[in-house]
Amino acid sequence: MVSLAIPSDIAFVILTVVTITAAIMALHAKELIYGAVSLAVSFIGIAGFFALLDAPYLAMLQIAIYVGAIVVLILFTIMLVRRDQAPEIDEQTNSESPVGLWLAGLLALAISGVVALAGASLPTGEPPANLQVSDLGPVLTSQYPVPLIVLALLLSASLLGALVLAKVER
Amino acid sequence: MALNPWLAIIIWGVIIIVMTGPMLTLPIFWSRRKPDPFRDMPFESGQVPQGEARHRLIMQYYPYLLMFVVFDVVGMFLFAWGISFTKLPLESSAFVILFIVLLGAPLGYALKLALNKENW
Amino acid sequence: MVVFPPTTPAELVALVIRIITSHTFITVVVFPGFIHLTVVVIFLTWYERKLLARIQLRIGPLYAGGPGGLFQPLADGVKLIFKEVMIPYKASKPLFLGIPVLLVFLSALPFAVIPFGQHWVIANIDVGLVFVFAMTSLFPSMILLFAWASNSKYPFLGGLRSLFQQVAYEIPMWISTLSIVLLAGSLNLVDIVRAQQKIWFIVPAFLSFVVFFISIMAELERLPFDLPEAEPELVAGWYTEASGAIFMLIFMGLYMKLYLMSSLVTVLFLGGWWGPTILPQPVWFILKSLIVATFIIIPRGVYPRIRVDMLIKIGWTRLLIIALANVFLTIILIGTGFMTAWGI
Repeated sequence: MVSLAIPSDIAFVILTVVTITAAIMALHAKELIYGAVSLAVSFIGIAGFFALLDAPYLAMLQIAIYVGAIVVLILFTIMLVRRDQAPEIDEQTNSESPVGLWLAGLLALAISGVVALAGASLPTGEPPANLQVSDLGPVLTSQYPVPLIVLALLLSASLLGALVLAKVER
Repeated sequence: MALNPWLAIIIWGVIIIVMTGPMLTLPIFWSRRKPDPFRDMPFESGQVPQGEARHRLIMQYYPYLLMFVVFDVVGMFLFAWGISFTKLPLESSAFVILFIVLLGAPLGYALKLALNKENW
Repeated sequence: MVVFPPTTPAELVALVIRIITSHTFITVVVFPGFIHLTVVVIFLTWYERKLLARIQLRIGPLYAGGPGGLFQPLADGVKLIFKEVMIPYKASKPLFLGIPVLLVFLSALPFAVIPFGQHWVIANIDVGLVFVFAMTSLFPSMILLFAWASNSKYPFLGGLRSLFQQVAYEIPMWISTLSIVLLAGSLNLVDIVRAQQKIWFIVPAFLSFVVFFISIMAELERLPFDLPEAEPELVAGWYTEASGAIFMLIFMGLYMKLYLMSSLVTVLFLGGWWGPTILPQPVWFILKSLIVATFIIIPRGVYPRIRVDMLIKIGWTRLLIIALANVFLTIILIGTGFMTAWGI
């Protein structure tokens, strides 16, 4: 039998490339709308990571909330900015200086150094066995009831705050 | 072959793209493309379009977008609870019912703000 | 024996035959896979035109061949492939060309989790219902992007109205499905259908059914919720500038969404594939879905259009309250042991 690479490894590599490329393009896009679309793609990539980590419910939650609602808000806000009022962005300094590359290289060196020094005390890559979606409900209500109520209050505070801030004062 | 269901979804997605891809690429060979400034003008039933196209935004329903984000999250949490409702004792579900009820008053006030047209 | 990789032509043929007759291949490609999906969607376009014609005392497509003009959609498809795709002045090309493909992709993807029979499901994942809802929640943003990409006033206004309308009816759709999840105890669509063996969920959750049905009619932008496509006002709404192959892709995406929503109603409320065993299970499923699709198509020929601000107001005030009330009603029904007679 030919040994193929494990499908989850292939998926991991593809998802990494897609997510990071989309995130970089979201920062560098000339048109803001294309940046928002790239951001949506990177959110979908993150949802893919959740699905890969045996948390399919979280992946669907990510897609429905982030790509379904928050990207719509971002797009709407971008369309609010009229073309003649948009500020001119001076792109020259960004694309010519290698500071970003130097910083990324230093960060990679630091992280690999820390991981190499940690050595044996790292957790092994075995996922916890057999997580089901139906485990979420009991945990949410019996172990974390107070955070649930705090979440309700937090959501209502953010909703009312956003509405009151956005409305027009007459 | 017992296939991982997520792999089946990916295969299904690939098949959809492979089968509908020709619908977009065949017209490149089979239809004509001659960009014409008069034909490519935005369609306004015959009159010449004036002004910027993406000009007017409808701000009247903006609060509904904000409410949508919040109730999206709420809905997802309620789905997580709803699965195990029949297996939980009633005291645990009481917290989720309290969750829904606690969001009732802000929902009412948000609707009152949203329905008042002078606010937007 | 099947050997991979095959070294002789006989082994290659054996491998190909093994793949083609495997259950996975048949589900993905034939039923309920791609071939069945395209056939039913093409049939639905013809069916809608014929049905609306009969309601409006016309005849509908007749001359394209086949009994009663049955090949009309094929003729339309071939015609649209040969037509020119006009990209409006200063439109954004990648979005204009890419989003219709994405629309068809997102309409067809949730069919992977919808069970057409006890063993006829492409992917039996544990979060099937939320998967379908996550995919349908991506539609408003795609419509907004397409409307923005066609650099024109009518599509932009139509796209904004469509965005607000679809966003307004997403939440009542989700909350009404919450009653079903409470009754069935699972998000897996196969389990939801299996729990309806004794009683269809339309009976204990009738208010949910009403809310869900109205919400999907608003999601599909069907009359009487037609204002984003209002012909006298907005020409064709958000897809005004679509022509040729782009229009065909959007059209197919919309009809796939219609079939998807009808199948979802069948799975959630009408007992899926359960029925007397004279007919096989998938036939019952398709029959029920087509009946639901009929009831979605009929109002298009009967009712006048509802104004968009009244529409959005009804979605956020009345329907949301009714859906929440039905959730509480279901909690009371289950809590008092009313449903134990039917095994819930």
